[in-house]
Amino acid sequence: MRIYLLKRLIEIVPTILMITFVVFVMMRSIPGDPVVALLGDAYTEDDAIKVRAEYGLDRPVLVQYVIWLGKLVRGDWGHSILNGRPVLNDVLIRLPVTLELIVLSMAVALAIAIPAAIIGAVRQNTWADYTATSVAMIGVSIPEFFIGVLLLLAFSIGMGGMLPSSGWVYLPGTCPTIVCAASLLGNAHHVLMPAIALGIGRAALLTRLLRASMLEVIRTEYVTTARAKGLAERPVVLKHALKNALIPTVTVMGLQIGFLIGGAIVVETLFAMPGLGTFGIDAIIARDYQQVQGFALLTAIAFVGMNLLVDITYTFLDPRIRYTG
Amino acid sequence: MTAPIRGGSTREVDLPVSEAAWDGARERSDSPFVQGVKRLRKSVTALVGLAIVVLLLVVAIFADVLAPLSPTTNDQTAMFQQPTWAHPLGTDQMGRDMLSRIIYGTRISLLVGVSSVLLALFVGVPFGLIAGYYGGRTDRVIMRMMDLILAFPIYLLAIILMVIFTPTAGLLGTIKVTGAIAIVRIPIYARLVRGSVLSIKEKEYIEACRALGLRDPWIVLRHVLPNCLAPIIVTTTLGIATSIIVEATLSFLGLGTQPPTPSWGWDLKANVAFIQSNVWLSLFPGLAIFVTVLGFNLFGDGLRDALDPRLK
Repeated sequence: MRIYLLKRLIEIVPTILMITFVVFVMMRSIPGDPVVALLGDAYTEDDAIKVRAEYGLDRPVLVQYVIWLGKLVRGDWGHSILNGRPVLNDVLIRLPVTLELIVLSMAVALAIAIPAAIIGAVRQNTWADYTATSVAMIGVSIPEFFIGVLLLLAFSIGMGGMLPSSGWVYLPGTCPTIVCAASLLGNAHHVLMPAIALGIGRAALLTRLLRASMLEVIRTEYVTTARAKGLAERPVVLKHALKNALIPTVTVMGLQIGFLIGGAIVVETLFAMPGLGTFGIDAIIARDYQQVQGFALLTAIAFVGMNLLVDITYTFLDPRIRYTG
Repeated sequence: MTAPIRGGSTREVDLPVSEAAWDGARERSDSPFVQGVKRLRKSVTALVGLAIVVLLLVVAIFADVLAPLSPTTNDQTAMFQQPTWAHPLGTDQMGRDMLSRIIYGTRISLLVGVSSVLLALFVGVPFGLIAGYYGGRTDRVIMRMMDLILAFPIYLLAIILMVIFTPTAGLLGTIKVTGAIAIVRIPIYARLVRGSVLSIKEKEYIEACRALGLRDPWIVLRHVLPNCLAPIIVTTTLGIATSIIVEATLSFLGLGTQPPTPSWGWDLKANVAFIQSNVWLSLFPGLAIFVTVLGFNLFGDGLRDALDPRLK
């Protein structure tokens, strides 16, 4: 297992390099010049040449990438072209917000999907099953931002403004600056609607998938044997069937990280959250190369890291799965 | 109806056979395609999905006739009007009729949804066929290219592509969005078809084709491709739903087709700012996206169950 993990970790490196290189090249093929935006009305050709030289933008793209990589190895993620702040610092400030959003949205998804899928599978072709599958079908057909708008209508505009429509309150101890709002209750108020908006679509998808897996598993011989030996229905379903049905679900959950990052961009934009999603989209639109590279790097690490985590989770769900070097 | 038992006969035709058994036998004698169509006709949800899709197609094609007003004409005297007979879905901050914008928005959503998937299909399927059939170095080169695209989170790639293409209004803007979504979806088809080809090319009938001296392009197009069609059709239908959501999301982020061209995602985003006083403005574009995606999802699900009942 250790050798396998080491091999996988080594394999991750070229994937991350590939993603960051492609983003690097793509960003530089975007029409427009960030130096023009930086200098604004004070733009002169001489100043532009100086700024380009300062950020290495006057060199060939490949050379720029190697320089960026060299700095990265030394822990320097570069500085934003537009505001001059260190990219790593900005990324680390915003990472906890997005991480909290993604983790909570997955928790929302699992909290809905697991019971709905179990009811759907155990009571197949009953009203409970039809309700679960119909609601799941509706869930996969609504984009995150529309769920967000519906939640805003219900809880921010309706119900006397029970939940805030925008902004952020940090968890105690995670405040990135000297002065900022931080409280557990305030954080819960601000994260609830975004987490539900992002989680419902995933819940619907996982319900459909887990229900199909459960239906397959509960017809297998070992489940029949478990019932035949007199085991109660609850352990049969929860211990024997669910655990095995979770394997394809875990795979899809891992693949969903890409969608969750995209969903986070949308949800953070709608609820004006200071997370990585809004950081990424603002950086891409402003053509801030250094910030985009930082965002792409972190996204790539999350993406490949999650896939590795999924492979490791298999061994816990099914002890027959063993990885060898 | 049950046939009377004829005493002493052991011939198969004389044995009593129920109507249901005859139906099953008849169905088994049909081609897989005809069997699929028959199953599809029995699926209520698939038919509901098909009805929604057909209705939306009619709306998109006859938008010029159905829309009461121009979707792009501003009317400063009629801003933020609540739903009335003159404006059944109200008007937006520019005084534009929301019903007309939603009707014309159907065109953009369906055009981008369908054409991006078809474009991805026409590029991805040949790649998958070649990679799967020829294998070896060709397979490795093609699939590494596809893996490169798949390694990106779908929205990140689509957003960067749209910034590179520079979003614009009108048909050109629609073509740019279509291109960005198609590029993101190409590897899905390439992987799907390659997987099917890998198993099909080992079948005896393909071996027989080779033994008969048939040329590879003929074998691939006449014998391999038709056997990959079921998963392709299902993925295409469900893919249209996903593409419509991606288009709406890009528009919501301001990176889709630009105004004044009507786009549901853009209209929803633009009107969120006024949601407190004008609830309907964001509600109707959102509902339009939801109904369209639901239609394609219902039809796609039904199609999957009909073409591959094992997946049900």
